[in-house]
Amino acid sequence: MATEAAHRQAPALVCLLPGLALLTLILGSLAEEGLFDGLRALTTVTPTSAEALVRHYSWWPRLAMALLAGGGLALGGVLMQQVLRNPLAAPTTLGVTSGANLALMAATLLAPGLLLAGREWVALAGGGGAMALVFALTWRRGLSPALVVLAGLVVNLYFGALGMVLLLFHQETLKGLLIWGAGSLAQNGWDDAAFLAPRLLLGGLAAWLLLRPLTVLELDDASARSLGVSLKHLRLAGLGLAIFLTGCVVSVVGVVGFIGLAAPNIVRLAGARRLGPRLVWSTLLGALLLATTDLLLQRFAGTLPTLIPTGATTAALGAPLLLWLIPRLRLEAGRPPNPATTLAPRHPAPGRLATNLALGLLAAIVLALMLGQKAGGWFATLDIAVLEWRWPRMLAAAGSGVMLAIAGTLIQRLTANPMASPEVLGISGGSAIALIAALFLLPAPGNLTLVAAGTLGALTSLAVLVVLNRRSGFVPERLLLSGVAITALFDAVRTIVLAGGDPRSQQVIAWLSGSTYYVDPVSAMLVAGLAVVLALAAHPFVRWLDILPLGAATAVALGVRVERARLSLLLLVALLTACATLVVGPLSFVGLLAPHMARLAGFSRARAHLLGAALIGALLTVLADWLGRQLLFPAEIPAGLVASLLGGAYFMWGLRRR
Amino acid sequence: MPDALAWLRRRLVPTMLLALVLLPIPRAQAQQDVVTLDWTLAETLVALGVTPAGVAQRDAYHAWVSAPRLPEATVDLGLRSQPNLELLASLAPDHILISPMFANLAPRLSRIAPVATLPLYTAGHQTWPQLRELTLEVGRLVEREAAAERLIDATQTQLETLRHRLPERVPPLLVVQFMDERHVRVFGAGGLYQAVMARLGLDNAWHGETNAWGFSLVGLEQLAGLEARLVVVEPYPVGVEAALADSGLWQQQPSVRDESLVTLPPVWSFGALPSAQRFAEHLVAALEETPHGN
Repeated sequence: MATEAAHRQAPALVCLLPGLALLTLILGSLAEEGLFDGLRALTTVTPTSAEALVRHYSWWPRLAMALLAGGGLALGGVLMQQVLRNPLAAPTTLGVTSGANLALMAATLLAPGLLLAGREWVALAGGGGAMALVFALTWRRGLSPALVVLAGLVVNLYFGALGMVLLLFHQETLKGLLIWGAGSLAQNGWDDAAFLAPRLLLGGLAAWLLLRPLTVLELDDASARSLGVSLKHLRLAGLGLAIFLTGCVVSVVGVVGFIGLAAPNIVRLAGARRLGPRLVWSTLLGALLLATTDLLLQRFAGTLPTLIPTGATTAALGAPLLLWLIPRLRLEAGRPPNPATTLAPRHPAPGRLATNLALGLLAAIVLALMLGQKAGGWFATLDIAVLEWRWPRMLAAAGSGVMLAIAGTLIQRLTANPMASPEVLGISGGSAIALIAALFLLPAPGNLTLVAAGTLGALTSLAVLVVLNRRSGFVPERLLLSGVAITALFDAVRTIVLAGGDPRSQQVIAWLSGSTYYVDPVSAMLVAGLAVVLALAAHPFVRWLDILPLGAATAVALGVRVERARLSLLLLVALLTACATLVVGPLSFVGLLAPHMARLAGFSRARAHLLGAALIGALLTVLADWLGRQLLFPAEIPAGLVASLLGGAYFMWGLRRR
Repeated sequence: MPDALAWLRRRLVPTMLLALVLLPIPRAQAQQDVVTLDWTLAETLVALGVTPAGVAQRDAYHAWVSAPRLPEATVDLGLRSQPNLELLASLAPDHILISPMFANLAPRLSRIAPVATLPLYTAGHQTWPQLRELTLEVGRLVEREAAAERLIDATQTQLETLRHRLPERVPPLLVVQFMDERHVRVFGAGGLYQAVMARLGLDNAWHGETNAWGFSLVGLEQLAGLEARLVVVEPYPVGVEAALADSGLWQQQPSVRDESLVTLPPVWSFGALPSAQRFAEHLVAALEETPHGN
């Protein structure tokens, strides 16, 4: 009985801590001009006193907005996690925020009139559209939770890439949206709070009505269906409500990361098991967390020459917390790995297939070298003075394609998860953070400095991965989640930097989009050489790679020392990813795509899979690089972006077909 | 053989003559062919009477710097951060001018032509002397020293004239540019606007920290309580003007309440002397129109 009571009180205790902190901060701030005056400013306008005006029009609405937004996001998060049965589902992972972001960008550039009609509606439409796409992609499979998260991830990356292209070409016009993307809670009137409050109230009411049916989702699909519940409609209703809630919040204050993910998980860890209490406590905790963070930021950020946006900061602070949370989350560990062969039948003659692919690659290389544009139009050439500009990029593109493809194959086989990719491990993210730091902190950094910084970052994040996962024996799910946390940190850093509007950020955008632009002959040779060496290094692991997808138990029974195998493969993946990231940036889809396409083409044994993926990876990046240079000549779209646009489209098509 | 020669003469000579006609006529004054990635350098070049062979992001230059216009002959080089190297090489320029922001491109660019890195807006440097030095340096590189001297003199004379046209007792000014309806860039120490205002004898009300480019990104609430006349540099982002009409905090700004707010047409915030001239011209004209706030 005593433990039962303790369980019931634990969530309350968890809320008490930020609650007390918040109260202290509020009182501390109000005490600056007298408690009474501060409170009076809540209701009255005193035009003669600047302090009172700021209190009335900015400070109080901002506090209200933080509480509302935090609560709304947390509520949306609980709903999403309940519907998808996935503790890591959140608006950011399901494409809602990137859809809203892209819609706002497109509207700003193409139809500014829409923004006058109502910015929040544009954002809601974009977020809803992205989610509708996710639904459309997964409808045939009954909106199965794993597939929804996966489709959300792909849509997210795809819209993100499209947004990046727009940003690359219209940075000056879109600079305001960058602030929105970083989630600033600054207020200058009560309008936004008045807009948000009734909508959240409505959402809360709907959640309460859905409470009982949603509880059914805790059962597995078959049992739930036997209770006579239409799972599809229930999921649609739950997710729709979650999107409405987050869409409303996001359209008003911008992207606020992490609260929707963290609050529900903390409450669950504190011992709230049933949906009802989880909804209530999560909402409360979300509100308190965001308000506390925001007040702390207001206290410390006033002295800096740039804005520190709250939304991105919660995401940055959240990343370490997420790393801490991951070992404590109950994940389905005993789940049998997806059978590796369901994707496509094995090709009868992988050798012949590989030869055909190699020929295709050769043709692409010749095309990429010979064909191009100049001021007058298209021309074909073999002039050495022109080729001198083209071959290093082509070679580096091919090399990094090979490396990413091999890294992807390794990690997909290692984790027995066709959706794993080296980008997800966070190694790309780590090296990107270091690169941004180098660009901003060092005066006029050269390329060698940048490469050194990038490598250092990649190694650091690798070290973090190893330290965090050694105890658990490098369990695949945990590993991927650690990567997600590091990527989230990178995302936050990037957003803060871009929102500041520093002219140098254009370079950051250019590099982040993944371009072979910065390659010179020496580094191209180096990349190609490394690709060959590391590809050969993957060769001795072929036996492990055939066995590991069968699951840890089988692997042990067959005499594989699983932990050592995982660690050495992981090191190889990290090395491959770091080298490739320095060339094509952290955003490419190639590591996800090439192994997948190789699978679909019929390369199923590890050796053939590696070879096929490497060839396809090289083909993808060479084509992407060439297309990127021609599409909007003379401006160049980075290869990484083109690859993700091509790859993402293919991927969504494949998802729909399956 | 003689036949072939005759044929050649018949065909080749007219062709060559035609080619000679089509080729550009040698210019009266031999001009160094320069390209630049930086808009600030581009506007300086144009102000010196030079036609840059290439400038990055032509359309965006016209949208954000607007004046002086780039000559028709100037080729678009693609993105500022990643100019098209093949195209750049085919122009075969004599000089490539960049700012330190693009320093990491220098090794690659120097394979095409000598690269000159010209600093402006670097932390810890006085803006005005740096502007003059930049102009002189550009003038030296394109062999237009006299034009550079003239541009500096003209700017200084113009600022001096404008200073005398100013109404008496102008309150401190707060120069902002809207990013969205809740955030502005406020311009202070280290920036172009501040440098111009100092030479006009005007006070800047913003004494807070600024970055190397001389601005700080702040929420509107941080402007409250500053005794200053507001100067808004256009463009307003879409929908912001409508949103400001409903913003309690903005409506309570003294300059908004007594309608003494000054709005200036777009001027490149990180420009050189041509932008400085335009900013000064617009600012003084606006202040003359509404000399007294109340």
